[in-house]
Amino acid sequence: MTYQLFQETLLNGSSVTNKVIKNSSTFIPFEPANTDYQQFKKDIQNGVVLNDAEGNPITGDALTTFMETLP
Amino acid sequence: MSQTGYSKVQIYSSSTATNTPSASNLTNDTNGSELAINITDGKLFYKDNGGTVQVIASKASNSGNFANTINVPNTFGFKNRIINGAMTANQYVSSAVTLSSSVQFPLDRFGVAKSSGATITAQQSSTAPAGFSNSIKFAVTTGASPSSSDYNVFFQRIEGYNFADLNWGTANAKSATVSFWVQSSVTGTYSIYIRSGDNNLSYLANYTISSANTWQQVSITITPPTSGTFNTNNTQAIQMSWDLGSGSTYQGTANTWLSGGYVYTGTQTPLSAVTGATFYITGVQLEVGTQATSFDYRPYGTELALCQRYYQYLGGSTTSGDQYIASGMCNTTVQARFSYIFPVPMRTSPAVTFPSASNFNVYSGAVTPLVTAIVTPGVVDYRYMGISATVASGLTVGYGALLLAENTTSSAIQISAEL
Repeated sequence: MTYQLFQETLLNGSSVTNKVIKNSSTFIPFEPANTDYQQFKKDIQNGVVLNDAEGNPITGDALTTFMETLP
Repeated sequence: MSQTGYSKVQIYSSSTATNTPSASNLTNDTNGSELAINITDGKLFYKDNGGTVQVIASKASNSGNFANTINVPNTFGFKNRIINGAMTANQYVSSAVTLSSSVQFPLDRFGVAKSSGATITAQQSSTAPAGFSNSIKFAVTTGASPSSSDYNVFFQRIEGYNFADLNWGTANAKSATVSFWVQSSVTGTYSIYIRSGDNNLSYLANYTISSANTWQQVSITITPPTSGTFNTNNTQAIQMSWDLGSGSTYQGTANTWLSGGYVYTGTQTPLSAVTGATFYITGVQLEVGTQATSFDYRPYGTELALCQRYYQYLGGSTTSGDQYIASGMCNTTVQARFSYIFPVPMRTSPAVTFPSASNFNVYSGAVTPLVTAIVTPGVVDYRYMGISATVASGLTVGYGALLLAENTTSSAIQISAEL
């Protein structure tokens, strides 16, 4: 299983990270009522690797800090 | 009758049409009340404590008028809290699902999962009892006795908004009754179980299949829980579940609410252990009250719409040719953006699965379609989603565009807000 953050470029040119891609195909919104999102958070807590939008693993304090920003 | 507090009643009759008794001519005191029947109109009258003459019964051809509410809780409206209980709606177009530890859906709203050595498939079937057209069929292609930690189950998770009126987890909790039609090649005792959405409470009950390969209807009344957490919003209130063979880790006591997640009572022959076994189920209904009533047939369009609150399937058709699934505009020379409004608002912002291959074309300006390299979602809400399609070149900024999904199941976009 793989998770990678998805960075969306808005029409005004700015970027927002509001989804995570599971297994390169399923786009999961950061929505607490979404059960795929709930599972994503459990998987990361259980050690599954989360990659940033460029495909680099997020580890250590950076991962903790990022997860704390999620709803 | 000599019971204290009751007195005799006299009944008067009239054959004159529209002749209604007046309040002054009907008594209702403690020494004896009067009723009046009009045999031509087919009406029975009495005088209430306020002195008003009321119609308390009328013949079947007359319409009924009710000044107050009718207290028949499981007869009207959304009687069946199970969605797709007749197993008719199937947006999941795969022919059969092989059970695994991941939850899968052989048809809409019914999930299946297992953790065992058995190989079990599940799919929509046209085998059904009289009055139904479909069922779910489970087939054990390779049987294996479950170890202590194994489970083989299927279920439907029910949203809090569709269950809140049962008041589970409070002193006002109402009983519920689950009924269903079932047929199996393996006779014996089977278990159902209900779990709270937070998985902290379980209720187990048994039923018996007494004759092999014969449809029978099962009805089980659930004692309501007066404590525990049962969500009342757009998250899961309960999971209504059926066991097909599980291990001792999940064994619990029947007919009482238990702390923890249990699946079966330990008294049944596990279907999953029998190679070649089959199990069909349909007509699933969960309703308020202690009596199972007739199945709540809803229009197919209504049932499908109820399912689409949780899952939608876009594109991926092999019968309708290439499908224009969204319209939009070109925002660069290599990218077009599209808007797709969900036909039914979803339970929450959904997860969207796009096919990995390039199964989409963009039509814009030129007649020749442009094959896309990447299709991704834009903003996703419970009501709509944006789609971005990137091509190598050739688009004109500001031109309109159409997104075409090719005539193959590989072009399916799956949109899930399942519980």
